[in-house]
Amino acid sequence: MNLRNLTSLAPRWQPSGLLQTLCGAVALLGATTALAETTPPLSQQQVKLLAATCASCHGTDGGFAGPIPAIAGRPADVLSMQLLNYKHRAPAGTTVMDRIAKGYTDEELRALASHFSSIRK
Amino acid sequence: MQHNQPVLDNISTPTAPSRRRFLHGLSAASMLPVLAACSAPTIGRAPAGRVVVVGGGFGGATAAKYIKRANPAVDVVLIEPNKRFHTCPMSNLVLAGERTMDSISHGYDELQGTYGVRVVHARADDVNPTARTVRLSTGTVLEYDRLLLSPGIDFRWNAIEGYDERASELAPHAWRAGPQTTLLRRQLESIEDGGTFVLSVPPDPFRCPPGPYERASLIAHYFSRHKPRSKVLILDAKDNFSKQGLFQAAWKKLYGDRIEWVGLSKDGRVVRVDAARREVQTEFGTIHKAAVLNVVPPQKAGFIAERAGVTDASGWVPVHANTFESRLQKDIYVVGDATIAAPMPKSGFTANTQAKVAAAAIVASLDGSTPAQALWVNTCYSLAAPDYGVTVAGVFRVENDKIISVPNSGGLSSANADDSIRRTEAAYAQGWYQAISQDTWGTPRPA
Repeated sequence: MNLRNLTSLAPRWQPSGLLQTLCGAVALLGATTALAETTPPLSQQQVKLLAATCASCHGTDGGFAGPIPAIAGRPADVLSMQLLNYKHRAPAGTTVMDRIAKGYTDEELRALASHFSSIRK
Repeated sequence: MQHNQPVLDNISTPTAPSRRRFLHGLSAASMLPVLAACSAPTIGRAPAGRVVVVGGGFGGATAAKYIKRANPAVDVVLIEPNKRFHTCPMSNLVLAGERTMDSISHGYDELQGTYGVRVVHARADDVNPTARTVRLSTGTVLEYDRLLLSPGIDFRWNAIEGYDERASELAPHAWRAGPQTTLLRRQLESIEDGGTFVLSVPPDPFRCPPGPYERASLIAHYFSRHKPRSKVLILDAKDNFSKQGLFQAAWKKLYGDRIEWVGLSKDGRVVRVDAARREVQTEFGTIHKAAVLNVVPPQKAGFIAERAGVTDASGWVPVHANTFESRLQKDIYVVGDATIAAPMPKSGFTANTQAKVAAAAIVASLDGSTPAQALWVNTCYSLAAPDYGVTVAGVFRVENDKIISVPNSGGLSSANADDSIRRTEAAYAQGWYQAISQDTWGTPRPA
């Protein structure tokens, strides 16, 4: 498999890029679970306000599919791993999502993943 | 007691069924000049209160929509003079002949039809924060429970000697998109090959910090194809500018010596403009002759902010960080370029995210709950050429009632990125514009 081609597709969220993203995120799961258990859950209002920041590039409710992909209705575990990966070990070819994901806590990223996965496309 | 319903001149009728019937009954009363309001907001059919939003740009349109999304029972009236709003983002592509004015214009159909916002095409002329009223250019007076101002910028005419509103008809600013954009485009098209485009840039703070340098880039791109002997001269009142390293590397690579930048300490600050002769004089007396002269003047908050008493001595608006409520007037919220929100830049993107924070705070204040913790994002896309994009991103939170940039987040595109990354960021710039236009005005994807 040609790794260079694979990673260059990652920012466009192609299935092959996803695979690579998933592999990188597996290592993170152990480290982040403990933190999640000790932090009070985010309120629904809080998650909504966090999610509203995503709409500026992904459209209202994350549902706008253009050159930047829609995020609504995608599986929570996939979104979660992608976001955590952007934050902790962004795939080569990432443009801006690494810089943005670093501004959120892991809990917030997981809450956002869950929020957008529950929105119908 | 029946809650008094508003009476508006020239109201545009929303198509939402619940609103349609209600507005129908208004016609007999619509001659009344005063928009009576929520004097007893807890009684009657609309107990959620009334919010008046002034300004239909990135901040105001987003705020109106997100208030309605959070609580459709809140009565939201949006005041905006223009039926179509032209954005500054992407207007530099219009100047370069790469986009049409129509492609950067947006309307209010979604706000009215989908969300039941009542859009009034008038100018807000005055605010009385004690009586809690807004007076419109039509003579109508609107009462509010909460006021949200997203007035954008006004220009400090004559801050540069000789540069006033009349001079801008000869030497455009084009720093508010619309007729000024069209005027500057026409001038660029008719420039003689070999003529110089001179761009005067103000000191901080001003709307869209990387905007002048994107403009210089895209005009150089236009020249390289259509006026091969023409050059771009930037006269700057600063010694450093946004994305400087990225822009200067791109200029060298894409345009050779076509773009010249003169900073403050090299006599870049323009102090006098002769618009008729298209001449500028800089601080140490140098005269520059332009074929096309573009002066971006120093700025301040839009005038309605002054009328509302929310500006300070700087001419900008201090706000409480977590809510964007004015620090000077209760129940008046201000978002967008008019505010003092550093380290957030004055951008359409931040206006959009500030509006969501203010909308949540307004809805919470009307129902007596505590607003969520604020968080904002910004990504400023700039095009050094239509297929060459660079960004600066930021994530912002509140610490001790101050806005801070989250440590280790955000920052610039890599200086070492290859052409494919620059192309991808240019494509995402277009994608961002489509998405935020959908989020703000409901503008559908271009066909």
